[in-house]
Amino acid sequence: MAIHRIYAVLLRHFYDSFRTVDRLADIFYWPTIDLLLWGLTSLFIKSFAPELPQITLIIVSGIVFWLFVRRAQLDMSISLLGDLWDRNLINIFVSPLKFSEWIASFIILGFLKIILSFSFAAALAYILYEVNIFYFGFYLIPFALLLMMTGWWVGMFVNSLIMRYGTRIQNFAWSIVMVISPFSAIYYPLSILPDWMQKIAALVPTSYIFEGAREVISYGALDPRKLLYSFILNLIYISLGLIFLKKSFKKMLNRGLLSLY
Amino acid sequence: MPILQAKNLTKKFKSFTAVDDISFNLEEGEILGLLGPNGAGKTTTLQMLLGALTPTAGEVYYFNKLLSQDREEILEQVNFSSSYIELPARLKVKECLKFISFLYNISGRRQRVEKIVDIFKLGNLLNKEVHELSAGQKTKVNLAKSLINFPRVLLLDEPTASLDPEVADFIRSFLLEERKKFKISIIITSHNMAEVEELCDRVIFINQGRIIADDTPQSLARSMRISHVELKVSQGKEKLLNYVKNNRVAFKDNGLRVIIDLAEKDIPDFLKNVMRQGIVYEEISIAKPTLNDYFLFVADGQNSNL
Repeated sequence: MAIHRIYAVLLRHFYDSFRTVDRLADIFYWPTIDLLLWGLTSLFIKSFAPELPQITLIIVSGIVFWLFVRRAQLDMSISLLGDLWDRNLINIFVSPLKFSEWIASFIILGFLKIILSFSFAAALAYILYEVNIFYFGFYLIPFALLLMMTGWWVGMFVNSLIMRYGTRIQNFAWSIVMVISPFSAIYYPLSILPDWMQKIAALVPTSYIFEGAREVISYGALDPRKLLYSFILNLIYISLGLIFLKKSFKKMLNRGLLSLY
Repeated sequence: MPILQAKNLTKKFKSFTAVDDISFNLEEGEILGLLGPNGAGKTTTLQMLLGALTPTAGEVYYFNKLLSQDREEILEQVNFSSSYIELPARLKVKECLKFISFLYNISGRRQRVEKIVDIFKLGNLLNKEVHELSAGQKTKVNLAKSLINFPRVLLLDEPTASLDPEVADFIRSFLLEERKKFKISIIITSHNMAEVEELCDRVIFINQGRIIADDTPQSLARSMRISHVELKVSQGKEKLLNYVKNNRVAFKDNGLRVIIDLAEKDIPDFLKNVMRQGIVYEEISIAKPTLNDYFLFVADGQNSNL
């Protein structure tokens, strides 16, 4: 991999991100809205259910943790869509840029934006609700990494579909990740899900993380096997995502980069 | 040794064959025109030469290396510009040139960008976002970006489309100069036949995905064997029109002037007959066939009569 080529793609999307209002909104606006809406809802629930003193921490940390999944996926997909909207993809791929460098640059870009979005949301959570996201201590690192891994493989599947079907399915970039959110048990325990949903949730890596986060809140520690299961599942899905992405890229080259818009 | 070799390139889209078993070479320092009517297969061929489209069959070699195997090494030395491809709309021109320059392994990157800006007189556009540029300015920036990596091979898809004549002329002079100085090899597609005649050492005509001619622009024009005789008739215009109609000679009636297409050898007899019939003309001009005539001939689907 050549660093200068990865840097080139980062630079292209960095300029775009900070000049486009909707991309800035993705980083700051939606986390703010989510925190206000669900944070206030949690305060309301707490006011008539004092036996749930941790409800605000559970919901607010759920919102902040979900950012890792959403941003990692969205940045990967929006970067591809950006080049399609700008009819710039051919400029990128008639250069020596490798496919692996292209994907790596999306992951790095997503990571940088996540740090920004997470820092902002964490600060806002503390200011609004005195929820300290660093309450999770060391666990924050594996949580963040495993949640981002989920965002990456979802992003890979979405991008594979966009490469095959073009911008007419661009809405998937914003919607597909939401399909796994009910199975992730972000705000509620897995046990409240119906049996068939619990079976699916067992195959969703994020369910182990959100369940684990609630264990940390309740008992101060979690069963490390949860992290392991989440990691193994993520690894499997990332491998499948990469294979699908590579095949879709080949298919795209078979149709021609100019045909995709 | 050719700098680029296209060997038996074929591209099929389901049952449609866009490019059908074409082979050609590009020599060092050569400017090759890739011509043909719309839908002939020019852009498909260019895309395959760039690795942006996988051929159904055949191979592309640059510098005696296979594009599909040594992609990165080859594309470091190749570049592309098209009037129909955009740069990111929200980026400033200087940002576009900067990020493109990082895609290539260029020594003295900043100086190269400055030089390109200077050559193409882009100084006043550097802080403009791409979407604010006119079509001509975009074409100019696109062309500038295609030279950023000192390419040994440059592929240009209608590089002067939408440029005003002065800038188009500058671009043509610049390309000829680059070729002279650096022996850069260029493949160019264009619908401006005068431009092709001025720039190209050789022309490949593609029609329905096949190469139907590979020659110099002058030879292709000569192959038409038809000259245009333009007469400004002062007396007997109706007689003249009847005469050409009766003799099934192609002509165009432009009001005061009549343009008649004739084989060079038939011109003296034609003029003699015109005089005999009492037709009087004040002015006469005889234009030799051009590449444009050849293009129109092919575009009309008459190539089978060649």
